[in-house]
Amino acid sequence: MFEMAKELFKQLFKKPFTNMFPAKHAPKSTVGFLKKVEEGKAKLNEPVPIPEGFRGKIAYDKEKCIGCKLCIKVCPANAFEYLEKERKVKYHLSRCTFCAQCVDVCPVNALVSTKEFLLSDYNKK
Amino acid sequence: MSLKDLNRSLWVFHVNSGSCNGCDIEIVASLTPRYDIERFGMKLVGTPRHADVLLVTGPVTRDMEKKLKRVFEQTPDPKVVMVIGNCGSTGGVFYESYNLAGPVDQVIPVDVYVTGCPPRPEAIIEGVVKAWTKIEKQGEKK
Ligand code: SF4
Ligand code: SF4
Ligand code: SF4
Repeated sequence: MFEMAKELFKQLFKKPFTNMFPAKHAPKSTVGFLKKVEEGKAKLNEPVPIPEGFRGKIAYDKEKCIGCKLCIKVCPANAFEYLEKERKVKYHLSRCTFCAQCVDVCPVNALVSTKEFLLSDYNKK
Repeated sequence: MSLKDLNRSLWVFHVNSGSCNGCDIEIVASLTPRYDIERFGMKLVGTPRHADVLLVTGPVTRDMEKKLKRVFEQTPDPKVVMVIGNCGSTGGVFYESYNLAGPVDQVIPVDVYVTGCPPRPEAIIEGVVKAWTKIEKQGEKK
């Protein structure tokens, strides 16, 4: 009985578990709300913190790349396209499965996993 | 099409057109108390006839092609189609499969692509926001 009362009391003062991303409720006008955010009048709530070692969008450093094609060999989704003329690769975000095998294999570390994950769009990238 | 036509709260029907189930789990995860998209008035419904939004996951296998088309036609206008996950938008890991009729945009018109394999629930919510803005802007134009 006492245990239950304790638990009840605790629950009464706990904050809700829900993470209110990006806003608590749907605003009257989404376009208007996003404009306000741009102007700094409203604030977006942060997403749930992402864990250590999260594999997000791959960042590609074209300068560093030596065109060895190793990333093309290991990529399970064929997300890299080889640019014959420049001897570089092109990364296609909407093909990637975010396995980070290319990051491990690249000999000059031209590819790095970032923490970027809010990537939806009206077109494929 | 404007938000008024959709009565503000978007009801969602989820079609699995041959996905690996990763994205489907993320969709369900965004309904859990941690993310709780029901606070935006959204909910999963059991039939396309009640839906405003189609969430399509998976790269459309040949078996699902006709069914996906039928579900699309059963959804009343105005409607929004969202592709969740990379295999639906480009084929992703299944790109060289012999059994693909897709990706999704070759079968039905798509409004928003949510990138990720699978996308985190927040990425899905962001996609919803994008869909929402698109509808509102279309409503203003009219
Ligand atoms: S993370 Fe994996 S799927 Fe994405 S580009 Fe690298 S190897 Fe290909
Ligand atoms: S593995 Fe690295 S260096 Fe080799 S082609 Fe790919 S990005 Fe360039
Ligand atoms: S995008 Fe990736 S996680 Fe989602 S259904 Fe396709 S293969 Fe599975």
